[in-house]
Amino acid sequence: MRTKSGTQRLLRWVGNGLLVVMLVWTLVPFYWMIATSLKKDKEIYGFEATLIPRHPTLDGYRLLFVKTPFVKYVRNSTIIAVATTVASLVLGCLGAYALARLRFPGRKTIARGLVFTYLVPPSLLFIPLFAVMSTLRLIDTYHGLVLAYLGFTVPFSTWLLMGYFRSVPVELEEAALVDGCSRLGTLVRIILPMALPALAVVAFFAFTQAWNEFLYAQVFVSSNEVRTVTAGISLFIVEDVFFWGPMMGAAVLSALPPVILYLIFQRWVVKGLTVGGVKG
Amino acid sequence: MAVPADSTEAYRESILVGARPRVAAPIGRLQLGSETALAYGILTPTFLVILGMVAYPFFIGIYLSLQNKMVGAPGRFVGLQNYLELFRNDLFARTVYNSIVYTAVAVAIKFVLGLAMALILDQERRFNNFFRTLLFVPWAMPVVIVSLNWRWIFDDLSGFLNNFLITFHLTNNIISWLSDPSLAMGCVIAVVVWAGTPFYTMTFLAGLQAIPRELYEAAEIDGASIIQQFFYVTIPRLRTIFLTTIMLSTIWTATNLQFVYILTKGGPAGRTEIFPHLSYTLALGAFRLGMGAAVSLILFPLLVLLIIFLTRRMLRPVDE
Amino acid sequence: MADVRVTRRQVLKVAAATGIATTSPWWLVNKSHAQRAKKLIFWQLPNFTPIADSLQKEQVYEFAKSAGLKDEEVEFSVVGNDVWIQKLSAAIEAGNPPDVMRLFESNVQFFGSQGHLVDMTDTVDRMRKEPQGIFEATLTAVRVNGRFMGVPLAVNPWPMHARLDLLEKAKVDYPKTWDEFIETSKKIQEPPRLFAFGICVGVTYDTTNNVTNLLWCYGGKTVEADNKTVVLNSPENAAGLKVLEAMFKTHKIIPPGSISWDDSGNNKAYQSRQAAFVMNPTSIYAYLDGNDKDLQKVTGLFPVPAGPKGSLTQIDTWSLALFKKSPYPELGKGLIEYMLRPDNYDRIVQSTGGRWVPVYKRLFDSPFWKEKPVFKYFIQMAEQGVPLSYAGSPTPAAGEVLNTHVIPKAVQRVLVDNWPAEKAREEAHKAVAEIYARHNKG
Repeated sequence: MRTKSGTQRLLRWVGNGLLVVMLVWTLVPFYWMIATSLKKDKEIYGFEATLIPRHPTLDGYRLLFVKTPFVKYVRNSTIIAVATTVASLVLGCLGAYALARLRFPGRKTIARGLVFTYLVPPSLLFIPLFAVMSTLRLIDTYHGLVLAYLGFTVPFSTWLLMGYFRSVPVELEEAALVDGCSRLGTLVRIILPMALPALAVVAFFAFTQAWNEFLYAQVFVSSNEVRTVTAGISLFIVEDVFFWGPMMGAAVLSALPPVILYLIFQRWVVKGLTVGGVKG
Repeated sequence: MAVPADSTEAYRESILVGARPRVAAPIGRLQLGSETALAYGILTPTFLVILGMVAYPFFIGIYLSLQNKMVGAPGRFVGLQNYLELFRNDLFARTVYNSIVYTAVAVAIKFVLGLAMALILDQERRFNNFFRTLLFVPWAMPVVIVSLNWRWIFDDLSGFLNNFLITFHLTNNIISWLSDPSLAMGCVIAVVVWAGTPFYTMTFLAGLQAIPRELYEAAEIDGASIIQQFFYVTIPRLRTIFLTTIMLSTIWTATNLQFVYILTKGGPAGRTEIFPHLSYTLALGAFRLGMGAAVSLILFPLLVLLIIFLTRRMLRPVDE
Repeated sequence: MADVRVTRRQVLKVAAATGIATTSPWWLVNKSHAQRAKKLIFWQLPNFTPIADSLQKEQVYEFAKSAGLKDEEVEFSVVGNDVWIQKLSAAIEAGNPPDVMRLFESNVQFFGSQGHLVDMTDTVDRMRKEPQGIFEATLTAVRVNGRFMGVPLAVNPWPMHARLDLLEKAKVDYPKTWDEFIETSKKIQEPPRLFAFGICVGVTYDTTNNVTNLLWCYGGKTVEADNKTVVLNSPENAAGLKVLEAMFKTHKIIPPGSISWDDSGNNKAYQSRQAAFVMNPTSIYAYLDGNDKDLQKVTGLFPVPAGPKGSLTQIDTWSLALFKKSPYPELGKGLIEYMLRPDNYDRIVQSTGGRWVPVYKRLFDSPFWKEKPVFKYFIQMAEQGVPLSYAGSPTPAAGEVLNTHVIPKAVQRVLVDNWPAEKAREEAHKAVAEIYARHNKG
């Protein structure tokens, strides 16, 4: 039982206050999106920014599900995002282990090289990449998009995990190695359980990046069978008119999976931490 | 973990030893060669992906920047001409200034807010999970949607912000947020911060959660105050994560054009023009791929230096 | 020790296996240099109304069937308006563009002059031989070296959308000159809720269109008919810019937020009753047709007011183009001719609610156009309209001027940086001259 000092109590209060401010700052724009998705067109184009829709309507959502293959888009996004996440975790863990625990020539160059991959933005990269994908017959396929996304998620997954792996005390691994465990075995049995928060973070980020990616999803895919939610959202922009209602509706719905995933994973991670004995 | 109770110095030392990132010293029986083979072995899939999906297009991009190339037409090698044309452009200086300010300010604010939120969420509190999830929401949405939404919020007449300010009598006039040259950059940065802070919060939080409680308890027993605990326990253990996050975020912020593209298109009068956006206008708008490539590679030297600098400490092999 | 060596070998095996596993599918796939399975690829940019979208799709499949194709041999892809440039650029660079797609103003000249498009001169000539023919003004967009490399699909005049009810309330007619316009604006507007003139001055396409149109009325223009001599530095252009400046700063009839508008800004302003006069193609009108009949009833479409040098209507032309890379160009050509067959064509035109103005003159005789007084001026506009690149034609250089937002930047120099009009005009002139020089050289 800690006795609360004056500083602690003050920090608590300040903390709670800041938290409230941040929550408001974070959620008001999101609320605005939800409100817009429930408004009739006329109200959207009305004079005032009504906080509560005067004539709330589900028309936008109805249009979404009836007139567009929204469900199909969700299915596609899910498949692609999950595949990307799994592959990112595997490649990220392996790579992070190599960079954090092994000594070999070229280690630093490779680590830096991974970061250099972010220096040329997708907004330029996509043209030569399209040529590559086209040659490899990856256009309009799930694996095409997944591979393209891995190009983006693997470097940061590797780096983030590398950071966490390094903070795991080496003695534990050394003990296991002495006991006859293989190197990769120590990765799986010692490091991973201790780096659970990191794995969860990497998983969310990879999933969310893949889920929300906008450019490649539109350029590399034309068929509705493979099209993702984000590409579908952009179809609500017709020339110079935006169909805000269904567009915001799609955006709100598409924000839910990452958020729900995060909510679920969080509890699991905290449980893993206490069981894994890091805090105990 | 045994904690020397005699002096704060020694205590700090022992904590730092545990906290300093390092690579395991090779255990006697293993030879360097086997580690190399193992390392390259498990890095192979990563190499393949990066090679095909990033490295190859990347080098094509560099080659493009040295060509006079329009979409659909064969390119002609012109060396550094594109870069020279860029330097001579009147808007060059302004774009450099904007790009640096935009990136630096956005990253700084995201860092401070992210760290503050991580610390706050690490405290014990009811519904913490719920709050963490709510703060994650901005990251759960595509940047394009976030920007479009905020454009609406900043709108002169039907925007939420102006409506709010006027209804609560905080101002009498309509503020043209995105049209005012002195406000536009601030608004863009605000949106960048809104969308990007969760990245910092979540990575820092994960780092905080991995710090064993015993370290704090030991420090407390030893007489360290909360502030001292923060500086001597928390910060050292988070240093790697700080550097990694800042590095990644700086690169992503500096090379992201979507916020500017949707919110201001570089206006008003070039106040928010940044390199990635300029590159896009030239590459796709003008169909000048060579020029677009050159513009997006301009930031390259600076960012490479930044990466090398930041990663120097992180990648240091052994500390003993 | 034995442990470790086994581990290393195991790992190497795994690595090799992974490597082969990840790369082999690509080798196998590449080996099968199969012919492109699809015989006809059509990229559709979403039209204004969903009915037009589905009609177009229907027509593509109808044609395909009549040409003996199976459904699986046709690819009909919807390409978003905001990403078509990226997709097309990437596809062209990779060597597999679609067969047929709709292109905007200067695109036909751009891709045509590079040799990517199929010569469609005989198709166009046949269209011109229809009774009453087509609006010849549309041909400037598709003419490359004397041949027609695309087929005009729709002509878009840029009328002034006007709030008839506000005019009536103030007891004034639609202004005939810009001076009258300014006076009328001051009478009918109620800032900050309602500004009169929703002219776009943001960094976006609409600005170049709107402002250039204004400059024309004062005798200004971008380039001469030879497509080489840039004349932005003329005194007339400065005069026009100064009028715009006065409208913004002195008379205050332009909403200040217009500085940050994108292409949808003026639409939004008019549709939310925050602007009374907006220069835009009929996307606004067509939107109202489906979504706000009240506002539509009081919307008039007029030619732009006249300046001292008269009034010119702006039109831009959309075309259908056939890419040379198509392995079955006869199919693509057949599709284009099918879609431009007057009866098929008319159905789509009418389904767009006024968004597409037909290229065939005689289609204007239908009740759809004749019975609506709001379209009264349209034939005249389509006949006499000139493209944005006036006095030149929509060359690639003109396209680059538009796409790199040279005019909006000049406008913002005046309105935001408070530069004198002459100085801003000089800067723009330099940029445009450089663009034209580069294109004319290469």
